[in-house]
Amino acid sequence: MTWHVAEDDLRAYARGELAPPLLWSADTHLAACADCRALLAEAWDPVALDAAWERLDAELDAPRPSLFERLLVRLGMADHTARLLAATPVLRRSWLTAVVSLLAVSVLTARSGHSTTTFLAVAPLLPLAGVALSYGPVLDPTHEMAVVSPMHGFRLLMIRTVAVLVAVLGLSGAAALALPAYGLDALGWLLPALALTATGLALTPRLGPVLAPSVTGGAWVALLLAAHAYRTGADQVLVPFTAAGQGAAAAVAVLAAGLLLLVRDRFDLSPSGAR
Amino acid sequence: MTASAPVSVSASGLSLCYGGTRALDNVSLRLTRGVTGLLGPNGAGKTTLLRVLATAVPADRGAFTVLGHDPATARGRQEVRRQLGYLPQTPGLHLDFTPFEFVDYVAILKELTDRAARHQEVRRVLGEVDLADVRGKRIKKLSGGMRQRVALAAALVGDPGFLVLDEPTVGLDPEQRMRFRELIAAAGESRTVLLSTHQTEDVAMLCHRVLVMAGGRIRFDGTPAELSARAAGRVWSSSERDPGAKAGWRTGTGTFRNVGDPPEGADLLEPTLEDGYVLTLDGDRAEVTA
Repeated sequence: MTWHVAEDDLRAYARGELAPPLLWSADTHLAACADCRALLAEAWDPVALDAAWERLDAELDAPRPSLFERLLVRLGMADHTARLLAATPVLRRSWLTAVVSLLAVSVLTARSGHSTTTFLAVAPLLPLAGVALSYGPVLDPTHEMAVVSPMHGFRLLMIRTVAVLVAVLGLSGAAALALPAYGLDALGWLLPALALTATGLALTPRLGPVLAPSVTGGAWVALLLAAHAYRTGADQVLVPFTAAGQGAAAAVAVLAAGLLLLVRDRFDLSPSGAR
Repeated sequence: MTASAPVSVSASGLSLCYGGTRALDNVSLRLTRGVTGLLGPNGAGKTTLLRVLATAVPADRGAFTVLGHDPATARGRQEVRRQLGYLPQTPGLHLDFTPFEFVDYVAILKELTDRAARHQEVRRVLGEVDLADVRGKRIKKLSGGMRQRVALAAALVGDPGFLVLDEPTVGLDPEQRMRFRELIAAAGESRTVLLSTHQTEDVAMLCHRVLVMAGGRIRFDGTPAELSARAAGRVWSSSERDPGAKAGWRTGTGTFRNVGDPPEGADLLEPTLEDGYVLTLDGDRAEVTA
C-alpha cells in the first residue's frame, strides 16, 4: 500500500459522515488494507455503533409496506411521501373503481350516441370530487391530527392534490384515447377539470370542505345546462368546449390557483369550528 | 408539584363563540409539568379548550403560549405543534393500517422524514404503550383499548413536551382504564399533560392539579385535595334521603349519602373529589339561574 486513509477521514467514515467520492475511495481501500481496517476499529465510537445497530434492528423490524406504497417508492417517490399518499382515502381501490366505472359508462355513451357531451361533462367533476375528498374531515379520519401536526396543511393538501390529479387525469386521459374518432375534442374536459379543481380548493377556506366543491360542481352543471338550453343546433358543441370556452376555463384555472396561493395559510386550521 | 414549578402552558382571556354559543368565556390558566385534570359536564367547553390549546381552532379573543411559543403567528404555531402530542376525543385511525404504519404516518406528519430514525422512534413509542407484539396486525382487528393505545402512541411520537388528551379512557373496561392510567402517569413524569375526563377517579389517581369547567368558564383551579375539601362538612349520612340535599343516593350499606347543606347534628362523612365536583357544579348552576 502506498497510501492510507487519513485519520480524520476514517473518523468521518466511522460516523457515517464521509461523503463521495472520498467515501468510495475509502470503501475500496479498506477492503484491501488491514492497517486501515485496524485503525477504523479504533476510531469507531461504541455508542454510535450501538445506535447504528438499533437503527438497523428497527429497520428490519418494520412491517413490509403495502403494494401501493412499494409501487410508489419504485417509481422514485420518497418513502415518507408514499406513506402520506397511502393514507389518502380517495387513492384507495374503491374510489378508483368508482372513477373507472363512471368513465367507462360515459365513454360507452359517447361511442353509442355519437356525442362526447356526457364524457366531457363528467370528467371535470371527478378530480374536483377526488381532491375535495382527499383532504378534510369528511373522509380522512386523521384530519384533526394532521391539522395540528407541524407539517403545513397546504403542503399536505398539495401532495394529495397532485397524486389525485395524476391518478384521475391519467384515467380520464386513457378514457379519451378510447374515443379516437373525436380527436383532440375528446380532451375538452382537461382545462375545465383544472379550473373546477382549483376553484373548489380556493373556495374551501371560506365555504368549507363540503360546500366549496358542491357549489363549484353545481355551478359547472348549471353552466352546462344553460349552454345546452341556448345552443342553436342539436349538433352544436356546448360553449364550454369551444375554443372560447377553453380559454375561459384556462383563465379561471389560473385565477383560482392564484387565489389558492393567497389563502394557503387558512388550510392550517381545522374547518370544523368549535365543539 | 410546587407552586413555583415552571409554567409550560399559559393562557389568558381565551374566548370563543360558535354558532351563537359562548364555548369559551374568558378562560385563563397556567399549566406546569405533570398531569392536570380537566373535569366538567358535557357542553362545558372542555373539548373546545383542548382544541384551541392544540392549535386546531383559533380563539376569538385571548392569547396563550406553549413552552414559550406563541401560536398567534404561523412560525409560533408550527413551533407549538412541534412540541404537541394530541389525542382527540374521537381519534381517527386508518383501520387498514397496522399500528406501526399508522404511527409511522403520524411521525411523518411530525416531520420525522429520516426513515431509519423514524422507524426507531415508532418502535420506541409502540413499546412504551405495550403494543410491540401487535405492531404488524391490522388496526381493525385490535380491541378498543388497543386502538386507544395506538392513538396514544401516535400522540407520543416525537417525544412532545405538551400532551393534550381528550377523554382517552372513555369506553375502556376497568382493566384497560387502569393500564391507560399507568401510561398517562408515566407520560406526565417528564411532560405537561392536560387530561380531559368525565371520570373523577382518573383525576384522583393521576392528577396533581384539577380544573373544573362549566358554561365555558373555569369554575375551579386547584389540587384534587382542595376540590375534595370544598365538600368538607357538606357530606352526611342518613337512613332516608335528605330532601334538603343537593344530591343523595343509597349506598351499598343501605344508608343514604347526601351532599349539600347538612341539617344540624348530621352524621358527617369524609368528602371525596366527586363530592367537591358536584358542589362546584351546583354552585355554577345557582350562579347561572341567579
